Amino acid sequence: MQKKYAIVIDTLNCIDCKACLIACKVENKVPEGFWRNWIKPNAIGNALKTQYQPGQCMQCDDPSCVAACPVDATFKGKGGLVVIDQEKCIGCGNCVTACPYEARYRHPEKSVVDKCDFCAHRLAAGEEPACVETCPTKTRILGNLNDPDSKVNQLLKRNEYVRITNPLINTQPNIYYKKETDLLHWPKEPTLPGGIHMSPQFWKTKT
Amino acid sequence: MRKDNKKEISRRRFLKVSASAAATASVAGNTQILYALTTKGSAKSTGVQSNIEKKFSLCDMCFNKCGLIARVEDGIVKKLDPNPKVLKSRGMLCARGNAGIQRVYDPDRLKYPLLRKGARGEGKWQRLSWDQALDLAAEKLEKIGGEYTRCGTLFMAGSDMQSKFVHRFAEAYGSYNIISHESNCLVSRNRAFLDTYGEMPIPDVLNSKYIIMPGSNRFEALVTPDSIDLMSAIRKECKLVVIDPRYTKTAAMAHEWYAIKPGTDMAFLLALMHVMIDEKIYNTDFVKNKTNGFAELTQHVKKYSPRWAEKECQIPAAAIARMARELAAAAPAAMVYPGRRTSDYTDSTQIRRANAIVNALLGNWDQPGGFVVAQKIHLGNIPFEPDFYEDNPDDRVDVNRSPMMFDTEGAYKHARDAVIEGNPYPIKAFFTYKTNPMQTGANRQKTIEMINRLDFMLSIDIMMSDTAWMADLVLPAASYLERMDPYATQQGVSTGPCLVTRDPVIKPMFESKSALWIVRELARRLDLGMHFDFTMKQFKEAQIKKHPEAVKAIKKDGVYHQKSKVYGRYDGKPFKTLSKKVELFSKRYADAELDPMPVYKRPKKIPSGRFQLVVGRSAAITQGSTTNNKLLRELVSENELWLHPDSAEKLGIRNGDRVLVSSVVGKQKIRARLTREIRKDTVYMDTGFGVLSKGLTSVFGSGACIAELLEDRFDYISGNMAMHETLVSVRKI
Repeated sequence: MQKKYAIVIDTLNCIDCKACLIACKVENKVPEGFWRNWIKPNAIGNALKTQYQPGQCMQCDDPSCVAACPVDATFKGKGGLVVIDQEKCIGCGNCVTACPYEARYRHPEKSVVDKCDFCAHRLAAGEEPACVETCPTKTRILGNLNDPDSKVNQLLKRNEYVRITNPLINTQPNIYYKKETDLLHWPKEPTLPGGIHMSPQFWKTKT
Repeated sequence: MRKDNKKEISRRRFLKVSASAAATASVAGNTQILYALTTKGSAKSTGVQSNIEKKFSLCDMCFNKCGLIARVEDGIVKKLDPNPKVLKSRGMLCARGNAGIQRVYDPDRLKYPLLRKGARGEGKWQRLSWDQALDLAAEKLEKIGGEYTRCGTLFMAGSDMQSKFVHRFAEAYGSYNIISHESNCLVSRNRAFLDTYGEMPIPDVLNSKYIIMPGSNRFEALVTPDSIDLMSAIRKECKLVVIDPRYTKTAAMAHEWYAIKPGTDMAFLLALMHVMIDEKIYNTDFVKNKTNGFAELTQHVKKYSPRWAEKECQIPAAAIARMARELAAAAPAAMVYPGRRTSDYTDSTQIRRANAIVNALLGNWDQPGGFVVAQKIHLGNIPFEPDFYEDNPDDRVDVNRSPMMFDTEGAYKHARDAVIEGNPYPIKAFFTYKTNPMQTGANRQKTIEMINRLDFMLSIDIMMSDTAWMADLVLPAASYLERMDPYATQQGVSTGPCLVTRDPVIKPMFESKSALWIVRELARRLDLGMHFDFTMKQFKEAQIKKHPEAVKAIKKDGVYHQKSKVYGRYDGKPFKTLSKKVELFSKRYADAELDPMPVYKRPKKIPSGRFQLVVGRSAAITQGSTTNNKLLRELVSENELWLHPDSAEKLGIRNGDRVLVSSVVGKQKIRARLTREIRKDTVYMDTGFGVLSKGLTSVFGSGACIAELLEDRFDYISGNMAMHETLVSVRKI
């Protein structure tokens, strides 16, 4: 059976060391000033308990970015990963604002869009994504949802993890976060560039 | 059309590259990765086949030496990944480790020997050939040795696997003035534990059930495996209490955080002892059988009640008493974490003595979740007999300034004062290897003053650090991925001891050379070549002779783990102290007219309008050695002054304002960061900014230098620099 990759994130393990940010940047040659992944703090400055939540492209099953692409340059590919054909991409930026997670950026030199693909080239080589592997506290766990014995399925069975979505558009993301942590409601509503709102149906790739 | 063409090319390339990858795999006999099978990476290049290799090495972005695997494509390092087989680093590389690639390929690398032409620190350099540079260095060392004795040269080598060769050179040359970086870091901690237990244990964080961290910041000042183990422990059942004037990321993860008044940790620790003894919740067996001086201690801590301590350190008495009970209930799988950098107060050894003694009351020695005995795998050596120089002075230059300084580490503070004073004898040359006291030693102006007293200064480094910037002769060192290093032993605490090493991942770039090559060439020119009559390969063979199994393991996994008993190693054995027991009371200290048990001295009151400046770490910064790294600069591009909003309001300072920070030794301009993550009477900034070296083109002009502001007090027992005794004023520019 085809693989379907997912990442389960135990938010409480993250110490905000940012190893994953630099690992990704080096592995994927992400240009200065841009990132394919992030760590969000739940409070800055005066919190007395802080959580740090790592994230990246959620490889959604009903991706609004795919719906937004006028030239089919981004699509669901192997392993359930949302991929970008950079040869096809015209750099219009529709998908950048369409992503509820703000996971995409326009490459400043190539003028095409780029984002996390769970290090597809490493997966193909039997390796874990750079961010997953390098993490000191192994906050991200990667696995195959189509394998009932995979570590991610074992974790998800415990019913301790949730997906985070915008209330208007559920793009069915494939990153799961620890329940009962903060930062579960931040995804934004997809728009077209210029802040143009569309009907929820517009963002659907599935009927 | 265009698209079809591409497809054609990529298929051809696929065939070509997969064939080459297969060839590589058969040579290495290991798992090679066929990146060409995917659409990313090398397939983007224009038909050039990639030769992909994976090589083991050890990180060098800080002192930890975490295991790594370098992915090398056509001789260029493309990625550093953690080596999961190295149990000490628990299969991780931090942000700095991942940015190591930028260190190696930094355009600011020193590329060839440089001779100072302008005034010191002016930055005018002349390129020399290696022969010219080495001839000149040898001539200077010969001349200064003749005029001022061989001890007239001070050697300082940082934490590095080749520093031992710099030490060997110093000894062969005839100087016993060799200092390490450690007196700017942790010697007072080692002093205290050595004088209490007879050795420096390592904390078994992973298996602990209760940890109090006074002043340590393990989730930012990363130590492997402690940092990782701390998260594993607290996600199980371990309770973590952080005692720190700053809300660090460790405090952010802790169950409890107390913003202790700076400089009062000993009061807190004495009160813990008071409660444990008063309520008889200490480990009675251990105390009775394994410790010395319990009666004296009982008497001594009577006056140090939690209510008394609350007034000193501003931690509620009830909380102190509760912590003491909780610690004792969790013991022996409980600890007051010993910490690492202890260059803080003038009584830092005594503060850590108090730390060591609380742990003794818990009886956590040699126990899971407590302290583990550090183990070494004994390695061979190529011995040598240095010559005796009759005209040399009787002792080290930094002697007689602190009663219990480690001769093996020396004291930077004392050596620097001795050079400036010319007392007890003149030092006219300074030889540094991979160490940067201009950034790490408190009071930068004094370091400059010392350097200005010299006739000759030589620095070996990979970058133009501030220290190299002040030198007369700068020699380019090979980075960690370019050189062969000796074997070294590490311990992953509960996973036991292991052996690691470095083999070159790529060839040395430019004209960079290893430290061994440099000192061997210098030795040859000084007629000391017989002490370096070996290659690195031969040295390593001598080291590993008794461990043939290790050679195999290291080739296969990048590490050799020795199976050995981790706990209970002291069963029936005496402690290596005067009393053969754990010394709660130290007769040695009493004989040396030092307090035999830690006596609390109240820190000076912080006058209103002034702040106590404290030193700390960010996970993206290893002091001055990583702040020029462009990848890491995307995380921290300059340092900021942490200032509490209430204090800032009184001074009319808003977030982001430029401020002038002044101490009695210096002034620096910096941007203010208003935050409630620090006490109102305390300020903080990261170390490693405000550089003088224009050879560090990325970081030059960013932030402020904390070393310029810090007063150079010292721990009176060990000579450790005491960096937290500085008061500063802050005003808006």
